[in-house]
Amino acid sequence: MKKIAKMMLMLLVFAVCVGASGMLFASGQDEQSAVVDYPKGNLDFVAPAGAGGGWDLTIRTVAKALKDTGLVKVPMPVRNNPGAGGAVHLASLQELKGEARTITVYSPPLILTKLAGTTQLGYENVTPLARLIADYACFVVSAKSPYNTMADVMNALKKNIKSVKIGGISSAGSMDHIQFLIMAKAAGVKNLNQIDYVSFDDSAVAMVLGGHIDLFSTGLSEVATLIESGDLKALGQTASHRVGTGVIAQIPTCQEQGINATFENWRGLFGPPEMPTYAVDYWRETLKKLVATPEWAKAKETNGWDDAYMDAPDFLKFLVKVNQDYSEILREIGMLK
Amino acid sequence: MESFMLLMDGFTVALQPMNLLWVTIGGVLGTIIGMLPGLGPATGVAVLLPLTFTMGPVAALITMAGVYYGAMFGGSRASILLNTPGDGAAVAATFDGYPMARQGRAEAALAISAIASFIGGTVATIVMVFVSVPVARFAIKFGAAEYFQLYVFALAATASLTKGNRIKGFISMIIGLMIATIGIDPQSGIKRFTFGLLELQSGIDFLVVIIAVFALGEVFKSFQNITEGKLNIQKKFGKIWISREEWKRCVWPIIRSTPIGFFVGALPGAGGTMASLIAYNNERQLSKHPEEFGNGAIEGLAAPEAANNASSVGAMIPMLTLGIPGSGTTAVMMGALMILGLKPGPLLFQQQPEIVWGLIASMFIGNIILAVVNIPMAGGLVRILAVPPKILYPIILGLSFVGAYAISFSVMDFYFLLAFGVLGYIMEKAKIPSSPLILAVIVGNSMEQSFRRAFVISDGTLGIFFKSPICIIFFALTVISIGYPLLKSALVKLKERSR
Repeated sequence: MKKIAKMMLMLLVFAVCVGASGMLFASGQDEQSAVVDYPKGNLDFVAPAGAGGGWDLTIRTVAKALKDTGLVKVPMPVRNNPGAGGAVHLASLQELKGEARTITVYSPPLILTKLAGTTQLGYENVTPLARLIADYACFVVSAKSPYNTMADVMNALKKNIKSVKIGGISSAGSMDHIQFLIMAKAAGVKNLNQIDYVSFDDSAVAMVLGGHIDLFSTGLSEVATLIESGDLKALGQTASHRVGTGVIAQIPTCQEQGINATFENWRGLFGPPEMPTYAVDYWRETLKKLVATPEWAKAKETNGWDDAYMDAPDFLKFLVKVNQDYSEILREIGMLK
Repeated sequence: MESFMLLMDGFTVALQPMNLLWVTIGGVLGTIIGMLPGLGPATGVAVLLPLTFTMGPVAALITMAGVYYGAMFGGSRASILLNTPGDGAAVAATFDGYPMARQGRAEAALAISAIASFIGGTVATIVMVFVSVPVARFAIKFGAAEYFQLYVFALAATASLTKGNRIKGFISMIIGLMIATIGIDPQSGIKRFTFGLLELQSGIDFLVVIIAVFALGEVFKSFQNITEGKLNIQKKFGKIWISREEWKRCVWPIIRSTPIGFFVGALPGAGGTMASLIAYNNERQLSKHPEEFGNGAIEGLAAPEAANNASSVGAMIPMLTLGIPGSGTTAVMMGALMILGLKPGPLLFQQQPEIVWGLIASMFIGNIILAVVNIPMAGGLVRILAVPPKILYPIILGLSFVGAYAISFSVMDFYFLLAFGVLGYIMEKAKIPSSPLILAVIVGNSMEQSFRRAFVISDGTLGIFFKSPICIIFFALTVISIGYPLLKSALVKLKERSR
């Protein structure tokens, strides 16, 4: 009996320690009181996903460019706060209301996760600072595939909705899935909810290379090297214009192929909700300067990103519009919550 | 021959003093990170990210690769000495490594682990020089159905790992599979068993479960022993080396496990954990004295150690030849390379051979350095066993919490850690083996997902699971690995009865 009591006591001590450490982390964020002197001390750059992903790459590149150009002189350590497609970080941002140090990157999943019911929080719960870049969706098939144009795929789908298996990295109802459905809808394919979409993790590229799925819905920069080497055939991309150089510039847009739709994987920077005006102004100003630098131009080129700069007010209007677009598609496939 | 010339060019890159320094730093750092519970190679590489931005692409790649295989060297240290694996790839090292340490053979265990790691890593690198492109081309033949059969085969290992009561082993596996279903289901976008908790949406990281069941379980168990005054500590230490007899027992297991590890590592999404488990199970089945496995059989430690190092080499292949991350760690490495302006993909070998071959050459050098560093380091580490439990176990506890937090920087993981630690303790008391649970947590989700993927691709017919030769081979292996031990014990019983 005594042993059990001791055991319980030990567990209790752990629990208290855990609780205390939790409080410590929460109160560790010091309040910003200096209005004029911003930024001061370390900034807090956050990728709402693990290291190595698109968000991580974007925010680290931004931090590097800001440092290389000397636009921001204080340290900008990047940390990762992954979970639930970025929703975990979105929730922790709510506890940093009115705080000025934290800068985060988001992209379409910011809107999609809320629409699909993953979280109650969305773009209204963060402060948009600027839209920076866009990557575009790209639909690729293996080099041996019978499909050569987007029309081939859409016609096959119209004939038999189960005949083309679409693969992607993100889960059903998220970006890779939605970007294809937007195109299918514009091409006049009916019964969008019956199109087979298979979610893979990082291995999706290997699946299309091996011919296990018919079409891989992804981002242009993810497969650029495999298109260049001829291992994959790109059927179409979703920008309103041709992008990139070399082989990439030869990929026709979906619009050119008579599908009247575009999809952009925009990426922008956000602050916590109710970020102070002085901080918002500082970032609007700084990011405007950043996008004009040669360092930033170089970074965009190496990563295959298209310029999509938009200042905060326009960015907000844009978010309202895409929110509308995405919810229509999700309603159609019955995933809108 | 051309590969050989290119490799020589690679050595001129890798032998530059700065690169030699980086590979040493990366390797040693990786070893240390690998030893800490929860901190695996992926975290190690992520921590290094800001530093790599200041380096050239070659130095960055060499350093990150050093961390990766360094962690494979280090991962088993804690498994052997304290029964607390640093990451998934080191779980198999607890099966026989820890019993060896308990029997006072920690020196031999640490030595064989370093030797097997060295041979596994080096041989795999030699193989990589010649066959990386064909291997990559073969690896993409694996579709969802093939992966499913592979995972089933790996899970079948749990059946053979269960000593004694099979029903209890089965219960343990089912609990593990249940834990693996938590989170958003990627195929439907539906939340399963998340209880409204945001932190549960991405599921419970298997590392949390590993740390909880092994490290916390060990602490809880020892806590009881401390108060009862039963726990003895080792006072005298021998040389970190192995006898000729032990070496003889390990040679073939190491040679057999290296290609297994290399190939499983080259499959995108499989990785070191699977490689070491399959190698372990394989040796156990081939062994003339399988009853020693789990009770300190030295070849049961050598096999997974060679396999996980070989797998870290294999995992570089999809990244370098196709631009596909083969594992969590290579995913982070690829991100870093892209920031440095390098484009991993099929053209990398042609366009920037000095980078690829410099990396491969550095892996030879790194493996030698690590073997040389690790043996004396083990001489110091083994003295952990002399630390009184009253001091040692609180430290393990602290490290466990740090490790769990480092996985996704979530305070919620502390609670999961405690809960699973208690679960592990209860299972220990009820004599339910924990290994099937761990393995089920590791492969459960991937296994389910690949089944569902294959099912969608085949329009709901089961034929896809037996369509390709690869599927059939793995199915046959699964049947053998479950059926053979059953058959053998049945035969033994039959013989006894006829007597």
